[in-house]
Amino acid sequence: MLKIFVLIKQVPKTDNLQINLKTGALIRNKIDNIINPDDIFALEFALTIREKYGGVITAMTMGPSQAESSLREALAMGIDHVIHISDPIFSYSDTLQTTLVLKETFEKIKSYDVIITGSVTLDSGTGQVPYQLSEALQIPLITDIFIFEFEKDKFKCQRNFGHESQDIEVNLPVIIRIGKHFNKPRHIPLSGIKKAFEKKIEIMDFNLLNCPDEIDGCNKSPTQVIKTDKLVHKRKNEFIKGSIKEKIQRIFDIMKEHGIEKRWMQKK
Amino acid sequence: MDNLKDYKDIWVFTEIKDHEEVNNCALEILGKAREIADELNQELVAIVLAYEAEKYLSIITEYGVDKIIYISHLDLKHYHEQFFTNLIYELIEKYKPSIFLFPSTEASNALSARLAYRCRTGLVNSVLNLELGGEKGDDLLLTDKPAYGGNVSVKIICPKTRPQMCTITTGIFKKKELKKENVEIIEENYHSDKSKIKIKIIGAPTRKDKPTALLSDAKFVIGGGQGIGSKENFEKLYILADYTNGQVGGTRRPILNGWMPEHLQIGISGESIKPNLYLALGISGAIQHVVGITDSDTIIAINTDPNASIFKTSDYCVIGDAKEIVDGLLKLLEKD
Repeated sequence: MLKIFVLIKQVPKTDNLQINLKTGALIRNKIDNIINPDDIFALEFALTIREKYGGVITAMTMGPSQAESSLREALAMGIDHVIHISDPIFSYSDTLQTTLVLKETFEKIKSYDVIITGSVTLDSGTGQVPYQLSEALQIPLITDIFIFEFEKDKFKCQRNFGHESQDIEVNLPVIIRIGKHFNKPRHIPLSGIKKAFEKKIEIMDFNLLNCPDEIDGCNKSPTQVIKTDKLVHKRKNEFIKGSIKEKIQRIFDIMKEHGIEKRWMQKK
Repeated sequence: MDNLKDYKDIWVFTEIKDHEEVNNCALEILGKAREIADELNQELVAIVLAYEAEKYLSIITEYGVDKIIYISHLDLKHYHEQFFTNLIYELIEKYKPSIFLFPSTEASNALSARLAYRCRTGLVNSVLNLELGGEKGDDLLLTDKPAYGGNVSVKIICPKTRPQMCTITTGIFKKKELKKENVEIIEENYHSDKSKIKIKIIGAPTRKDKPTALLSDAKFVIGGGQGIGSKENFEKLYILADYTNGQVGGTRRPILNGWMPEHLQIGISGESIKPNLYLALGISGAIQHVVGITDSDTIIAINTDPNASIFKTSDYCVIGDAKEIVDGLLKLLEKD
């Protein structure tokens, strides 16, 4: 039976994001937190594997106490177990520190066949953790797959890699990073919501993981954020005036200035 | 980590694209890296791993490098996670660069993340700007990168570990031709342990050339939003694109309305574009869309609402009905 793990992250919903311009910090109490949109495809992929090959799915997240709601949501989707990696020491971990904590977690779990991740998180947007976890656990990472099968202790798939399409085979365990829109995530069934609140959330903290000194959240994160600014996109903002005809002519001229010309058109 | 002072020089991973040419973004980065090297009075070094790597070296010397370190072997024809990571990690240990910059490509993003883990150092991705901070002669790099879905820009430093690593997107810096005298060329040996290969390739891979008209590579993009009004009107955007060799894209709304396929979405959950000209038709300018268009050279927005937020991020703002304007443009093109 496949032991499937899905890494998810809770992120702030970014529309209507409010930032304290003095401190650069997010105004947290006005933010809705959601499962990182890319991670939903990873959860769906795990459910698909379980349907086809059987297995047990554990979703895990690393984050503060409110991240529990995202784990409940994963349970509601049909995930079997959830792990909440949480400790004040882990706060403000950068990707390297996050990877080191995940490494400890998987070493504690010991037995895992498939680790599934999304592509990129909405908040920091680094996309680095899958690669770094592949280094840390010394297991292969496969990205951009489109056809796959599990065969005993092997994972076979076709993937896009650079400008090639390759048929590949790896021994388990493997990390699979799922692309955006790889699948259509299912809706949460009403029955799932009830179940989600009956299940227990397993907590893993610094002591339980028996973390080495190397792990120390923001203190040992090599990268440090020193300033946050609202991103402004400077543009000319010139309003084109005149009649509709004049406006169209002006747009047409701007198009020409940018090298956009009529081309010979094939009859359809 | 050894003494930080032991680390010097600015490295650029000059990736060879599809074993055919030097990645253009890497050449752009060399221009900026040259400035930093001059400020620090250190060397600018290009790192090349390729099959028949020698044939790319003369091009790289046109862009201001002091030194090229290369490894040439058939196994390096394509990016390979184990070969590339192992070999470059050894180079880092041997030469100890202070700063290591990468173009933001699929291969380099992967490679840089792996190397950063092995070096236990920091990696900042999709950097918008680079500059030296701190005291004069201090090699501390200040990097700006977008976060929270492009809503904010964060300034990041990596003060305690080396090398300081970044990936940089195409078009941030400009290529600068500059030929230095006596560029030093160093060949390092290739070696690998094939028994440790984890990913087995079965059968010959097929070359999958990308579709010719990629939204992210288009020079002219016509974007449609809710304001286009109907599927019938939306079809006219394709005619406009056909006439002008442009590409159609849009916001989430036309997909939900069934006017446009999902893969043409521009913005946070779709493509980022960088055309010479972006024509935003009937688009209100929600941040999820806007983050995908900020690299456009010029933006013209057309909207009936004079307060539409798209106007804030546009060079030319036209208050009017998008449909009427598309019809007018088609007429002018027919006459042209």
